[in-house]
Amino acid sequence: MAGGSVFECKEYLFKVLVIGELGVGKTSIIKRYVHQLFSQHYRATIGVDFALKVINWDSKTLVRLQLWDIAGQERFGNMTRVYYKEAVGAFVVFDVTRGSTFEAVSKWKHDLDSKVKLANGNPIPSVLLANKCDQKKESSNNTALMDNFCKETGFLGWFETSAKDNINVDEAARFLVENILANDKGLPYEESNGDRIKLDQETVAAESKSGCC
Amino acid sequence: NRGARRARDIRAGSTGTKNATHHRQYNKNSSAHIRSTLQKQQSLPVRPIIPLVARMSDQNASGAPPMTVREKSRLDKFKQLLASPNTDLEELRKHSWSGIPREVRPITWRLLSGYLPANKERRELVLKRKRDEYFGFIEQYYHSRTDEHYKDTYRQIHIDIPRTNPLIPLFQQPVVQEVFERILFIWAIRHPASGYVQGINDLVTPFFVVFLSEFVNVENFEVAALPLDTRRNIEADSFWCMSKLLDGIQDNYTFAQPGIQNKVKALEELVSRIDEDIHNHFKRYEVEYLQFAFRWMNNLLMRELPLRCTIRLWDTYQAEAEGFSHFHLYVCSAFLIEWRKEILSMVDFQGLLMLLQNLPTIHWGNEEVGLLLAEAYRLKYMFADAPSHYKR
Repeated sequence: MAGGSVFECKEYLFKVLVIGELGVGKTSIIKRYVHQLFSQHYRATIGVDFALKVINWDSKTLVRLQLWDIAGQERFGNMTRVYYKEAVGAFVVFDVTRGSTFEAVSKWKHDLDSKVKLANGNPIPSVLLANKCDQKKESSNNTALMDNFCKETGFLGWFETSAKDNINVDEAARFLVENILANDKGLPYEESNGDRIKLDQETVAAESKSGCC
Repeated sequence: NRGARRARDIRAGSTGTKNATHHRQYNKNSSAHIRSTLQKQQSLPVRPIIPLVARMSDQNASGAPPMTVREKSRLDKFKQLLASPNTDLEELRKHSWSGIPREVRPITWRLLSGYLPANKERRELVLKRKRDEYFGFIEQYYHSRTDEHYKDTYRQIHIDIPRTNPLIPLFQQPVVQEVFERILFIWAIRHPASGYVQGINDLVTPFFVVFLSEFVNVENFEVAALPLDTRRNIEADSFWCMSKLLDGIQDNYTFAQPGIQNKVKALEELVSRIDEDIHNHFKRYEVEYLQFAFRWMNNLLMRELPLRCTIRLWDTYQAEAEGFSHFHLYVCSAFLIEWRKEILSMVDFQGLLMLLQNLPTIHWGNEEVGLLLAEAYRLKYMFADAPSHYKR
């Protein structure tokens, strides 16, 4: 059943958080990314919602992203600690049309870094998303400012995104996954084992239909 | 067990029991559509719009079959209780438990929630006083929504209102959205220990729909066309009844939401005693109850059930002592176990969570809720009064 090529296929399962203020478009970004759809009709997320994105990363690698869509009003006590557990990457989202949601980015980033770390003690890779860029009023160029903000706050980088017009959502995800994979490969197997789940042969063989290997 | 199987048969659209026949025929055209959409539902980001979603008030809405003799005598009993100079609330609760006839639901809800007095003579006066009091709050406080101190609260409410029941056109009417904004803002600033917490917006909906149904067919109506006085009365009554409900579950929404934390723990404990297989299955795949049941508690299952079912559920919650706080726990347990087969056949974390967050109840009606409540009642009596009896 298990041919040689199947045997070499590597599977990863990564838990990725999507956090940020209420109404910035976290759910919309995830729905766009996973289902290639946009709707004005999503209800506010309560607690946490789950989605799964399967990526045929390359001919030898299959990545499953387990996306944890965390309620924007999740500000009460220790709940986020429960949700953040074992995450290996994060998106922090703000709404370019509402300045206050950008001001909250540092707060979310701090919350994240204080509650979850990689096995080696480093903060988990995180990417900043400036969402609803289709509604941006002025076309001011603040690239340098944003680059600097990311450096200071510890983001790997930032993307202007629009879940509505499908701008940069795939790109941002690819960027984050690249970094997660780099972290994963940089660690000895034993240590990274928690992030990587090797599936049994049967599952791998079944998955190979989907295009991996 | 037979009941559960019967419910499943009905859901699958098979032919069967006599009292469900009418309702099934009524929905026959949509049932094939429902079945095909249900299969796709798990991969769909939003629930599809189907005719049943719009039929929100309950299964006995206009166009439903004529009343049976039994229903007629139930309605007469309600009318008799309501007409008495002093309504016997105990008796009213007893009859409400198994569902309130649509025609008398608005007044019965006002009585059961403790908003209206049992004494018939005093009702008019109390209504007038409370309605005036509410609009007094509006006059006094509503302008402060733009103040520095309250603008965040107002903004959160403002963002959440359009996404409350986004698929039901009634709630997209500007007049209706303004009603919800006022109710929620006033409630939030009068309850600073919790303020506005996401989910509370959902809890206004059943009251609003039930009180509106007293005047119009809620499925398809321009609320702005109602006389101003009528609209104001519906708004004030919705506010007060929602306030009464929230008084009983306030610790769900205060700092760190202790009420919810405790209820989720209690649910876990209960399920571990009632159905060890499900409990161990969750353990094995590292599913935590908080991951799905937080929403069940925070929104009183409103996200998991069609609105018409929530309305029926609330008939019973208002008839039970501590219905919204305590009995809800048993309803959640019964609801979880309802999906036993589906849960046990799902063998990975993602699959389980996605199942538990998208349970296919879109075609549920009174029948299914009735069975759910009966099971919850059974669990309550088996497990509540003898907490250690079933402990291993």
